[in-house]
Amino acid sequence: MDIREWTKERIVIWDGGMGSMLQERGLPPGALPETWNILHPEAVTEVHRQYIEAGADIIDMNTFGANRLKFPGEDGWSVEEVIRAAAANAREAVRQAGAEREIAVALDIGPTGKLLKPLGDLAFEEAYEIFAQQVRAGAENGADLVLIETMSDSYELKAAVLAAKENCSLPVVATMVFDGKGKLLTGGTPACGVALLEGLGVDALGINCGLGPEQMKGIVAELLAYASVPVAVVPNAGLPRSENGRTVYDIDAQEFARQMEDIVDMGAAIVGGCCGTTPAYIRCLAERCAGRRPRPVARKERTLVTSYAAAVEIGEKPVIIGERINPTGKSKLKQALREHNLDYLLREAAAQQEAGAHILDVNVGLPEIDEASMMEEAVREIQSVTELPLQIDTSDMEAMERALRIYNGKAMINSVNGKEETMAQVFPLVKKYGGVVVALTLDEDGIPDTAEGRVAIARKIYTRAAQYGIDPKDIVVDGLAMTISSDNRSALTTLETIARVKRELKGRTVLGVSNISFGLPARPGINAAFYTMAMQAGLSAAIINPNSEDMMRAYFSYCALAGLDPSCRDYIARYGEAAGQENKTAVPAPPAGQGGRALAQSIRQGLKEQAAREAAALLEAKAPLDIINEEMIPALDEVGQGFEKGTVFLPQLLMSAEAAKSAFEVLKSDMERRGVSQEKKGKVILATVKGDIHDIGKNIVKVLLENYSYEVIDLGKDVPPEKVVECAQANGVRLVGLSALMTTTVPSMEETIRLLREKLPEVKVMVGGAVLTEEYAKMINADRYCRDAMASVNYAAEVLGQ
Amino acid sequence: MMPGEWRQREILRYLGYKAKDVPDPAVLSLIGEMAGVLAEQMEPGRVFRIFPVEGVKEGQVDLGFSVIHSRDLAKNLEGCSQAAFLAATLGSRTERLVQRYRRMQMSRAVVFEAVCTEAIERYCDGCEEEIRRMLGPGWGLRPRFSPGYGDFPLEYQRELLGVLDAAKRIGLTLTDSLLMAPSKSVTAVIGVYEAADMPGGCGRGEDLTGRGAHGCAGCGKEDCAYRRN
Repeated sequence: MDIREWTKERIVIWDGGMGSMLQERGLPPGALPETWNILHPEAVTEVHRQYIEAGADIIDMNTFGANRLKFPGEDGWSVEEVIRAAAANAREAVRQAGAEREIAVALDIGPTGKLLKPLGDLAFEEAYEIFAQQVRAGAENGADLVLIETMSDSYELKAAVLAAKENCSLPVVATMVFDGKGKLLTGGTPACGVALLEGLGVDALGINCGLGPEQMKGIVAELLAYASVPVAVVPNAGLPRSENGRTVYDIDAQEFARQMEDIVDMGAAIVGGCCGTTPAYIRCLAERCAGRRPRPVARKERTLVTSYAAAVEIGEKPVIIGERINPTGKSKLKQALREHNLDYLLREAAAQQEAGAHILDVNVGLPEIDEASMMEEAVREIQSVTELPLQIDTSDMEAMERALRIYNGKAMINSVNGKEETMAQVFPLVKKYGGVVVALTLDEDGIPDTAEGRVAIARKIYTRAAQYGIDPKDIVVDGLAMTISSDNRSALTTLETIARVKRELKGRTVLGVSNISFGLPARPGINAAFYTMAMQAGLSAAIINPNSEDMMRAYFSYCALAGLDPSCRDYIARYGEAAGQENKTAVPAPPAGQGGRALAQSIRQGLKEQAAREAAALLEAKAPLDIINEEMIPALDEVGQGFEKGTVFLPQLLMSAEAAKSAFEVLKSDMERRGVSQEKKGKVILATVKGDIHDIGKNIVKVLLENYSYEVIDLGKDVPPEKVVECAQANGVRLVGLSALMTTTVPSMEETIRLLREKLPEVKVMVGGAVLTEEYAKMINADRYCRDAMASVNYAAEVLGQ
Repeated sequence: MMPGEWRQREILRYLGYKAKDVPDPAVLSLIGEMAGVLAEQMEPGRVFRIFPVEGVKEGQVDLGFSVIHSRDLAKNLEGCSQAAFLAATLGSRTERLVQRYRRMQMSRAVVFEAVCTEAIERYCDGCEEEIRRMLGPGWGLRPRFSPGYGDFPLEYQRELLGVLDAAKRIGLTLTDSLLMAPSKSVTAVIGVYEAADMPGGCGRGEDLTGRGAHGCAGCGKEDCAYRRN
C-alpha cells in the first residue's frame, strides 16, 4: 500500500480501541491484551472484523505491547509467536469481512513501557533492538505498514522510527501523545515532533490518545502548520472519568464524529479512534467522512532545529549559535578533552545557555583523541543538562553519524560544502537522520573571491541536495567571513553573499562572525560592528561567543531596531534597571576586601561569586597555595566539623563546597599561568552500582572529595562491576567509593566488591547509600561504611593521606 | 509563601533540620527559588483504580484478580471492603531537572529534591481527596501503604503499575531493579472502609463519620496519636 497515495483520494479511516474491547470480553485487569492473539484468537478477529464492517480502511494488529520486555519468550510466548498470531487474526478478519475496498493491516507498535536513559535505565540502542525485532516479525508476517503510536518520549519515538526504517521497507506512520498543554511528556512541542519525524522520513505523522477530539484541535492546528506529510488524528472518546471503578469516556459516537469532522476540515487526512472508541464510533466517523477528499498537503518552508524539548526556528529573527565548545585556540578545553573531563564541557554549555545562546555548537576534534566516541558521549552528556538544540560540528564522518544517530531531536550539522566528495558523504546522513546542514560556499577550487562565485556554489549545493531528497529549508548557507586584515574588501564580499542568497535563492544564512577580525587588535568592537552589518544584510544565524557582551549588545540592539523585539521587551529585560537588581542576592554579602577572613567567610556562607572575587583579590598579596592552606582549608574544615556536629546542614555544606570550588578555579588558573602545579592527593573512583540510577549521594561525596584535592574519577551511575575494576586497574587507584540506594541494588554492590577483592585485593572500598548500615556494609565485605559525605572525606584521608 | 500548599518546615525536615534548628537565610532563599522552579515546571499525573477486597486473612490480601502476600498490608487493610491503587508522579520534566542539578550544582540538587518530596506527598494528599469525593460520604481511607513498606514486597510494584497501566497513562515506569522512573513518584495501596466498620480510628486523624464533622471531633478513638484538636 502507499499511504500517501491513499490520502490524495480520500480521508483514510483507521480503526478504534482494542484493549477496552477485549476487557469487555473478559480480559482481566493488568493482563496483556496481546496474549489473547493466542488464547482467544476468535475474540480478536471479531473486533477487527467489526472495525472493517464499520468502515475502517486500516486495522491495527493487536501488537501494541508485543515486545521482548513483555514477552521474553523464555518459558512463555516469544515476540515472533505473538506477532505471527496477531497477523493471522487480522488477515482472518479481512477475509471474513470480505470488504470490496482494499483493507490494510498495520503492525502496531506502542512504547516499550520503560523510560530511556538518562531518565530511566533503557539504553537507546536497546530500545532500538526491541523495536527492530517487532518490525522484522511484522514485516515477515505480511504487515502492509508500520504504525508507531502513543509515543510521549521523543527519544523512544526516534528509536522506534529508526528501527522501522532500517528493518523493513513498509510505509511508516508515527503518532504522539500530547498533554492538555500541547506538550509531549518529555517537554517537546508539536513543532519538535514534526521536525524529528519528517527528518527521519515518516510517511505520515500525527497525534493519538491522551485527549478527546475537542482538546486536540489546537495541537492539530500546530501539527498541520509545520507538517509537509499527511497528518493522522486518533483521539480518545473524549476525556476519561471513573465510574464504579471503570473508566468511561465523556462523548458518544455521534458527538465524536461531529468533532472529528471539524478536524478533517482543518486538514487531517487520516482519522480513527483510540481509548474508549468502539466500532460504533468508527462507523459514525466513516459515514461523516465518506466521499470527502483531504486538503492537499502543502510543503512547509520552515527551518527547524530541535531537541527533545525545544524547537528553534531559523528564519526572520537572527539565531545565536554558541561557539565555545570547540577546542581551536582554547587550551583549557583541549586539556579537558584529553583528560576526559566532560564536566568542563557541561559548564561551558550551561554558561552559554545562561548568556542567551539558542543553539550550541559542539566540536571535540583533537588529533590525539578518538573523536567519534568523544562526540557521541559529549552529545549525550550535553543533552542531559540542556534542552538547547545542538550543532554537530565535525569533519569526521563516523563522529557525525554516531552523534546524529543518538541525538535526541533534529540537529544542526556543521558542515557540508560544494566539494562533490563531501556532499556525497554528508548528504546521505542528513537524509537518513534529518538535520539542518550548514553549507560552506567553497569547493574543489577553494573559496571564491566574489559573491557571484559563492552564490554559484550555494546554487550547486541546493541542486545536489535536492537529488538526495533534502529540502532547501534544511540548508543554511555560510557566506564565509574571512579576515579583513589580509583583504580589506572581504567583509563586503561576505555581506553581499548573505544578501544575495537571501534575495535570489530565498535561502537561510549563517556566519562564523569573529573570523572577520583575525589578526587585528581590539577584536570585539570590529566583530560586533560586522555582526550588526551582517544581520542588516539578512543573516539568519551567527556562530558567536554568547559570553561576549559586545556581541550580545549588538544582537539585542539590532533586534530592537529591526522591529524583531516587540515593545523592546527583551532589550529592556536585559539592560533595564530591573535587570541589574535581579542579580543582587537576597543574602547580605560580607564586605569585600578584608583579606583572608572575607574569603573564609564567603566559603562558610556559601557565596560562590563572592568567594571567587575574594580569591582573586587575595592573589595580590598571597601565593595560591598559602591561600588554600591558610584560608580555605580551615574554613572548609570548620564547615565540615559543623556538619558532623549537626550545627551545619547538608545544603550549607554543599553551598560552602561550591563556593570553595569557585575560589579554587581562580587560584588554579593563576597557578597555571605561572606554571605552578598543585599536587593532587590521590585518585578515588566513585560509582553508583549497576542497576541503580540514583546518584545523588555519590555526587555529594564527589563535591567534597574534590574540595579536599582528591582526584575523583566519576564513573557515573548504573556502573557494571567490570568497569570499576578495569578503571581501578588502568589508573592505579587505591580507593573506590560505591553507592547504592535500594535493597535491590545492594547485591550488585556486593558483586562489585567481590570482583575488586579478586582482581585488586589491595584496593580499599568505602560504601554508602540509604539502605546501608555498618552491619550490612560488613556483610558485603566493604572496608568502611560511610554514613555521610564527611565520613568519606575522613576515610580518604586515612587511606590516601591528608 | 510556598506554592501548592507545600510546607517549608517539611522541606527542611527532609534536609536534616530538626524542629529546633534555625535554617540559614541562604538556604531558605534557595528553597524558595527551587519551589518556584518546580511549581512552574512540574507536570504531575496520577492514575487510580478502586477494587473490591475479596478477603483479608492472616498474611494475605485477596483482590480477586491478584493475591498479595504481606502481613503488614493485611493488617493495614483489616476491616476494609475496598482498596484503591494509586500511582502518582511529578513527571519526566521534573526528573530532567533533578538530573541536571545533580550534574551541575549539588546544593541545588538536594534542595530541589527535598521540595519534590514535599510536592509529591501533597499531590498524593490531593489524590486521596479526589478518591474520597468519588466515594462519597460514609467512607474512610487508611494511610497510604506502598510496596517496600514492611513486608509488602517491592516486587509488587510491577503488578500495581501494570494494573493501572501507569506507563501509558502517566509515563511512570520501573527500571530492572524496581526503581521508579521518573523517581519523584509514589505508588500506594489505600484501604477503603465503611466508617461504621472502624470505630477504632483511622490511624491518622481523619474524619471517620462522613457526616461532615471534619477532622477528629467525630471520631471515637480519643487516644489517637494523630488526633487534632
